[in-house]
Amino acid sequence: MSAVRENSRRMTEIRRRLRQTSGRGRKLRGLVEILAPYRWRVLAMFVALVLATAAALAPAPLAKLAIDNGIQKHDVHALDVIVALFVLSAIVYAVASYVQTYLVGWVGQRALQDLRLALFEHLQSLSIGFYSRNRAGVIISRLTNDVEALDQLVSDGMATLIQSGLMLIGVVVILFVMDSRLALLTFIALPLLAIGGFIFRIASADAYRLTREKIAWITGYLQETLSGIRVVRAFGQEPRHIARFHALNDDNRAANMTTVNLNAAYFPAVELLSALVTVEILVVGGIAAINGSTSTGVVFAFVAALNNFFDPIQQLSQLYTTYQSGMAALDKIFELMDEQPELSDQAGALDLPRIKGGLRFDDVSFRYGSDDDGAWALRDIDLTIPPGQTVALVGETGAGKSTLAKLVARFYDPTVGSVLVDGHDLRSVTAESLRSQMGIVPQEGFLFSGTVRENIAFGRPGATDQEIETAAEAIGAHGFITGLENGYDTQVGERGVQLSAGQRQLIAFARALVADPRILVLDEATSNVDVHTETLIEQGLRRLVAGRTAIVIAHRLSTIRHAGRIVVIEHGRIVEQGTHDELLDAQGHYWRLYRDWAEQAAA
Amino acid sequence: MGATVLIPYLTGRAINAIGSHDRHALTMWAIAIAIAGLARLGLSVARRLVAGRVSLGVELDVRNRLYEQLQRLELSFFDRQQTGQLMSRATVDLQSVRFFLGYGLIFIAQSALTIVLAAVAMFVLQPELAALALIPVPFVVAIANRYGHKSRPAVQEVQQRIAELTAEAEENVSGVRVVKAFAQEERQLDRFTGSVTRVFDQALLAVRIQALYTPLLSFLPNLGLAAILLVGGREVIHGTLSLGSFTAFYAYLLMLISPMRTLGYMLGAAQRATASGARIFQILDRAPAMRTPDAAPPLPAGRGRVQLSGAGLTFEGSTRPALSDIDLEVEAGSTLALVGATGAGKTALVSLLPRLYDVTEGSVRVDGADVRTVDPVSLRHEIALVTDDPFLFSATVHDNIAYARPEATREEVESAAQVAQADGFIERLPSGYDTLVGERGLTLSGGQRQRIAIARAVLADPRILVLDDATSSVDASTENEIKQALRDVMAGRTTFIIAHRLSTIALADEIAVIEEGRLVARGTHDELFLRSPLYREIVEKGMPDQVFLNENPREVEVAGL
Repeated sequence: MSAVRENSRRMTEIRRRLRQTSGRGRKLRGLVEILAPYRWRVLAMFVALVLATAAALAPAPLAKLAIDNGIQKHDVHALDVIVALFVLSAIVYAVASYVQTYLVGWVGQRALQDLRLALFEHLQSLSIGFYSRNRAGVIISRLTNDVEALDQLVSDGMATLIQSGLMLIGVVVILFVMDSRLALLTFIALPLLAIGGFIFRIASADAYRLTREKIAWITGYLQETLSGIRVVRAFGQEPRHIARFHALNDDNRAANMTTVNLNAAYFPAVELLSALVTVEILVVGGIAAINGSTSTGVVFAFVAALNNFFDPIQQLSQLYTTYQSGMAALDKIFELMDEQPELSDQAGALDLPRIKGGLRFDDVSFRYGSDDDGAWALRDIDLTIPPGQTVALVGETGAGKSTLAKLVARFYDPTVGSVLVDGHDLRSVTAESLRSQMGIVPQEGFLFSGTVRENIAFGRPGATDQEIETAAEAIGAHGFITGLENGYDTQVGERGVQLSAGQRQLIAFARALVADPRILVLDEATSNVDVHTETLIEQGLRRLVAGRTAIVIAHRLSTIRHAGRIVVIEHGRIVEQGTHDELLDAQGHYWRLYRDWAEQAAA
Repeated sequence: MGATVLIPYLTGRAINAIGSHDRHALTMWAIAIAIAGLARLGLSVARRLVAGRVSLGVELDVRNRLYEQLQRLELSFFDRQQTGQLMSRATVDLQSVRFFLGYGLIFIAQSALTIVLAAVAMFVLQPELAALALIPVPFVVAIANRYGHKSRPAVQEVQQRIAELTAEAEENVSGVRVVKAFAQEERQLDRFTGSVTRVFDQALLAVRIQALYTPLLSFLPNLGLAAILLVGGREVIHGTLSLGSFTAFYAYLLMLISPMRTLGYMLGAAQRATASGARIFQILDRAPAMRTPDAAPPLPAGRGRVQLSGAGLTFEGSTRPALSDIDLEVEAGSTLALVGATGAGKTALVSLLPRLYDVTEGSVRVDGADVRTVDPVSLRHEIALVTDDPFLFSATVHDNIAYARPEATREEVESAAQVAQADGFIERLPSGYDTLVGERGLTLSGGQRQRIAIARAVLADPRILVLDDATSSVDASTENEIKQALRDVMAGRTTFIIAHRLSTIALADEIAVIEEGRLVARGTHDELFLRSPLYREIVEKGMPDQVFLNENPREVEVAGL
């Protein structure tokens, strides 16, 4: 774990430095920051790159030498020496290439890893408000797609740039030295190729993007059909779906045909260009050789070097799109990094001592978002809750119940007024000390992938097996858990057993119980379960709220009826408070809600 | 192909001409090269276009057939398959086959032919040198193949681990409230670090493979070139080989580098494409288990009389029957409630009616006809099913409600919505009935979806209506209103109700009690209360607490912590 801790420290450092870069050249400096920890390896990478390129360039001039100095001069000894050099350059190339490939891969992957971790950590520090404002899919895309695009740029992109760049420069220089006139003739092809390649890459990227879009449509439609196959079958609507699929399929083909056409236009043309240049070299160079102003060896070398010329240009044109996506990704990543963690601990924040659990809302009003836009979600809330009381929050959907609960949990700070626990303003204590004494049970029993045991222990990772099982038993979950395939060690979640909503709720209760919080904030689930599980949940809930302050967003009459105090909220204000009997006598809001329910149940 | 192979030969001739100071020959050979280049262009373009069209055509065809086949297969097939697997067949596997047909096959043919032609040309020029020059060829092909063989699984494993990483990231984002609630950020970071490290380790493995093999694939041909320089050079010096031929040899070997590698890689692609093809055909060749006689007649006229005789249903892969020996007759126009514990078989029973599953014993008759003998489409048009977790398509609210009858007018859609008590909230949606819902649209609450599903069923105007826990997520008052409206819809229409609430069950004329796949009691509420201890137990245990509250206009957001 200490390696992880050290890693974490480095992540924080990277995050800090990334956030400090700003203004022009920010992106470039950002890239440098990401690679900075590995500067020695990067240096080695460059060295290997240069060596490899040099070795790759060697064959052409060596071949020329072989012909001019060896063959033409009938000098076998010279030939042998040159061949030996040739083999040597091949060996150097192999070794340098190995080192280079390995290092590029290593540095690239490490940088990728660092970035992922830094982003993840940053995400963790952001407030709930951020998560409410942004779609999950978008957030995840940052961590995955964008980081990968950046990695492409950093590893492949950089290596290609250097390699192809050096190669190109090298070839140009060598050819120029060998015969400047011939070289110039060869280089005529360069701008043509560069521009053509450029245009091709852009058009091709667009076309490729379109095909990805089309296949995504097909995938999406197929997925929908498969998810809803029962509905499709039950209503006998197969023909309609088939027709639509045919249409999507045709679209896909058309998009792919475009890429085929593009490829058919480009690649053969490049090959032709290569042949034409060869002709040009042979004719001009050949005549020059015949005239004696140059040697056959030179002509030969030019022909041999043609590949070394065309390939890098092609590679470089490919780089443009990589550069584009990489930079776009970097932009988005920076955007994310710039998000401030909203609710950080105040300077001098206290660690909350073991609290008794008394809560107080002191003239609290709250609205989401800043500025004067948006309606008030809560208005003038004055509420005092003694330690250990169970409070049921009742009201229509959107009345403000969950907002109130979120303020207790300190997911948000009040806009006006303050929320106090045992007399301490929540803003003046450390978040950790508060959360460790608070338990939160959201509406959906959210379980992570892992064993039942791990999920229950999530509330308090140090919990012993005994404590886990005791909690489960108290909640009433022990029964069905032991009935599962591997009992407490059964895998749940996406890759495991699919538990029913009721069962997940019970495990979530056990999780909260193990954490043994002084204050519990709970959002009751509304879906109906079978009678047996329903009873378990009722009992489990009762067990959970006993002996601690509990704020329950309640939907079940049994919960509400047994609460120490019912708080009725309407349009963000408290309109009624009291016990079940008191409120019924009062014949106000609560009474009316109750009456509707009673009619329904009795029917 | 021939054109490509010709060029080095012609180049060689040209160099020869240079060597012998023959201008005229030089020009001639140069022009020949240009012509060969042009020919190559034409052929290359043609080849690419043809291969492209053909392979895309095949892909289109096979994909269409796959989809049609999926629409034909019986539901029990889907129960046993993972969606992800089926999806891969139609996308990844199919693309692998297409790529191979469009490029792979061509590349293999091209490479092989190039190698063969070049080899022949070289042998013609000078057999001993040819033999020497060609030594690297089989090695490079084998090594390229091996590289592909090792590299692919390594890379796929990287992708797999990245997928796991993504899933973990997703989980953390969805569960952020729980993480923060329990202050477990550090623990989650540790876990994530573990996953990231796993990706790194595997990626490095793949990098090592790449670093090892790619230089090797350049080194061997280079050795070959060196050999030509050495031996061929000597021969030119000794006059046994012309400079031109020597050049040709060199050029040939240069030319062979790419095809050698391509051949090696593509052989691997061939293997994978074959495997993909096999998987695709597995689905295509499957005979649908649910058969209907050709030209089956439509459902006979009637008002929805249902008869189950000795009906039994055992799901594939299951040892215990879900239903056994059900004898049930429901008069046209009457309402029957099914009660029983979870898993007793109620849903299985009602899925027999529209033939979502076929009975494994006995028969199901609707208006006198065995459901297996009538046209399934006409059967299903007369039966509408509403479940507790209804599926809505990514389409507008209007389209979803009108799913069974796409030609329905807006008025008809609206009146159906009214019955389902859905018109209220629909009108308050951003675009009303034209609001996009479903996966790519607005997320509706459970109660809202159920009401849209009820509207859908109502609009379908079926003979038989099945409500399977159809109002479980709807609150008390709203359900009351739905029931009032449904009473009219249900009048004179055969209806099956599966519910846990006494008040809902009370809508029925009669009640059937199902336990462990068998029909154990049937009668009115009062009769059953007297006669059936199981029924009494169900009723007395009390129905679960209703959702207590009114759903208020602003229910578009899903409330909660």
